[in-house]
Amino acid sequence: MDPEALSPMVTFALSPAAPILAPRVGSLAIAGRKPLTTPHYLPLSSRGTMPHISHDVLRDHTALNSVYVGLEDFVEKKHKSPVYNTPTTSSQESPLKKFISMPQDMPLFLGPRRFPPIPCPPANTDTSIAVLTTNGFGQLSAHEYLDAVQQLRPDVAIGFSDIVLNKPPGVKRRGKMVDRTHAFTRDALERLYNREDKSSAAYFAPVLPLENTQQSLYLDDLASEFRENISGLALYESASLQYIPEPLGDLPRLLFSEPSSPHEVLRGISLGSDLLTIPFIVWASDSGIAMEFVFPAPSAGQAGPLPMGLDLWSSDYTIDTFPLFEGCECFTCRNHHRAYIHHLLTAKEMTAWVLLQLHNHTVMDAFFAGVRDSIQRGSFEEDVATFNRVYAQSLPERTGEGPRVRGHHLPAAQQNQPRRMPRMYGRLDDAAQKFAESRSSSVVTPDTDAEGLERHGFAEKV
Amino acid sequence: MSTTTESARKSMPSALTFERHAKCSTTKARASTLHLPHGSVQLPIFMPVATQASLKGLTYEQLRQTGCMLCLNNTYHLGLKPGQEVLDAVGGAHKLQGWDRNLLTDSGGFQMVSLLELATVTEEGVRFLSPHDGSPMLLTPEHSISLQNSIGSDIIMQLDDVIATTSPDHARIKEAMERSVRWLDRCIEAHQYPERQNLFCIIQGGLDLELRKQCCAEMVARDTPGIAIGGLSGGEAKEEFCKVVDTCTGLLPEDKPRYVMGVGYPEDIIVAVALGADMFDCVWPTRTARFGQAIVSSGTLNIRHKEFAQDFGPIDKDCTCACCRPTEQGGLGITRAYMYHVAAKETVGAHLLTIHNVHFLLSLMNAVHQAIREDRYPDFVRQFFSNQYGGDKSKYPEWAVGALRGVGLDLLAD
Repeated sequence: MDPEALSPMVTFALSPAAPILAPRVGSLAIAGRKPLTTPHYLPLSSRGTMPHISHDVLRDHTALNSVYVGLEDFVEKKHKSPVYNTPTTSSQESPLKKFISMPQDMPLFLGPRRFPPIPCPPANTDTSIAVLTTNGFGQLSAHEYLDAVQQLRPDVAIGFSDIVLNKPPGVKRRGKMVDRTHAFTRDALERLYNREDKSSAAYFAPVLPLENTQQSLYLDDLASEFRENISGLALYESASLQYIPEPLGDLPRLLFSEPSSPHEVLRGISLGSDLLTIPFIVWASDSGIAMEFVFPAPSAGQAGPLPMGLDLWSSDYTIDTFPLFEGCECFTCRNHHRAYIHHLLTAKEMTAWVLLQLHNHTVMDAFFAGVRDSIQRGSFEEDVATFNRVYAQSLPERTGEGPRVRGHHLPAAQQNQPRRMPRMYGRLDDAAQKFAESRSSSVVTPDTDAEGLERHGFAEKV
Repeated sequence: MSTTTESARKSMPSALTFERHAKCSTTKARASTLHLPHGSVQLPIFMPVATQASLKGLTYEQLRQTGCMLCLNNTYHLGLKPGQEVLDAVGGAHKLQGWDRNLLTDSGGFQMVSLLELATVTEEGVRFLSPHDGSPMLLTPEHSISLQNSIGSDIIMQLDDVIATTSPDHARIKEAMERSVRWLDRCIEAHQYPERQNLFCIIQGGLDLELRKQCCAEMVARDTPGIAIGGLSGGEAKEEFCKVVDTCTGLLPEDKPRYVMGVGYPEDIIVAVALGADMFDCVWPTRTARFGQAIVSSGTLNIRHKEFAQDFGPIDKDCTCACCRPTEQGGLGITRAYMYHVAAKETVGAHLLTIHNVHFLLSLMNAVHQAIREDRYPDFVRQFFSNQYGGDKSKYPEWAVGALRGVGLDLLAD
């Protein structure tokens, strides 16, 4: 065993020691990795890639400083995923990071599921949770997950939890959630840290999206028995921030949130989250929306609230040669203008989403830098109030079409649901209709001969 | 309806200089440099196709990093979106897409005939129904040149009368050839900026070598800065393709670039270079990338095949593109296994393979240029075919063996 890999070498320093439920600035340092200053957003990957951002562009033109990966993107039903066989040059190297070609010094957060997770029809069990694998729904057992943490060497492992998606759980189900999560956490800490092959990953224990009273036994254990082995907390709703027991107050808090607007992000920060997930960044890029807001907001004086983004599908930008957002220093704003992005969107060119991703992430980086400054200056509460007053309450509506949506991006199809995507190929429609008509009459014969069918593209003569 | 006479013909300034470096001592291959308004390019060249002012998911910086100095836009597509008004308002296609190197645009005629149903060609131009609202429309040589003037591309193409090379209607082929000559005169007449945009003529004549010869004579006399051989890559037999290219290059002046339109398979390019062609374009390398196909020295790999799921080598071990270079050399260290994981599932998969395929073809062309300059092109061609077919000469395609034999290169000799 490599002696250097014996303990999770993670430190979290809060610059003003803050009480619970207050905004705070911190620094999450993992040995050998670039430190993360918080509050910050946690970039969400899909199959190990940042959506639309190829690796060279990520390296050269983004400040993305960490990545969240859902293990389910690497689970295959019949075979063990190739990621486990990635050759590494040292026992320190993370095979997962190497597989997805992310720099080794970029902190990698691994969780069982992608975020946002797609609800799965199969139910979770006492030993596993339902996941969406590369080839359909399946179960991921807690053991498999811990094996993955051991072998893939993420920097941070998000604890296994039993969470019900889509509908509020009933009373009995809630009890089960707590019991299972409690057991998952106990087993995980035992497995990862009390054995000879001690894990190098830091463990972020889940706090369930339930009332304090329902999970108090579990939270008590986190604060006492489990305390020494947990390095952070993973939360699933901002309300949970108020239930964090005092002894856990100095742990970093990762909030798996789906805020609908920057205002909600600020709310999460004001309640003391350190890292947050923000799915609306990719949503905006996919929708053709260029975000344009800064924190702290410019002093008011305008009539009416400022919009928080431009919908570049709008024909207003057809010949607009201004950058997306005045003063923005991102790759897109330095090299391109609104008219080009508008053209790319209407021409359905993939480059549109690339350029919007670069812009939107840069806006978010600046937003969080502003937030950290503001907290340190002690003017955060005031700045939030101004921000809420100056800007519109939500991002623009999506009006245009986004990229083609794949199975792993979308909830499972239900019965009697309309088509997800419009039909692309209509060549056979005519023939299909004729065929349907002939079926409804008593004689099941096409009303044309083979040559006719060939002409309709229904079949070809051989 | 031929209206122009020799005397009325406008003189044709050129916005390029064609600098010849070397000619292969065996085959007809040439190495040269073409100095264009937005920088110099080495010939022979492959030009990737950025159909709608973007190369499928790549930023122009990424395209620059593949070594690309000259890429295509399609006039037909830019004419529909964003349209001439916008191009004029923005100041041309270079400014629209933020590309400071060279652009070449086709005339739009090919798309008109291949994409649209009910397109009919008359002496006036191409009549077709608008794909948006179904209203009847007409594209004339004057329209095409005016649009390309608005686009501001460094090389523009004449509108030609395109018909399928495989058409059995000889009279129609002859008519199309003659009409293309007449349309060339109208294009020259309509061209507003010959001092900064180079108009290329397009040799037509189907697979009839006699017609091709006539067309060459007529068009060479019009003294355009460059010359394209059109109407190929339309499903004709490769032998026929080679005969046409060989015949035309034999009649074209040595001091002008020759562009064979729509050719993109490495094998076809290598042979066409030996037959004396300089410039090529095709959507195949970028399109095939989006379907998960990687171009490598032994041919193409379907990276979505499960044999690559556990393959931790680079896409091509000799390739120096950003994807294939190891991280120690400033590359990304992308493996086949990872490509298998993302190909056709994430847009990034398409971007990475596009970078690789474009880079692969451009560096192949660099190697071709170098080999011709050092007068070892015949050996280069032998090595290329040996790599493609694993050294098995019995698998070499007959058309390539025949065509190369015609220019003094025997692939099967030891």
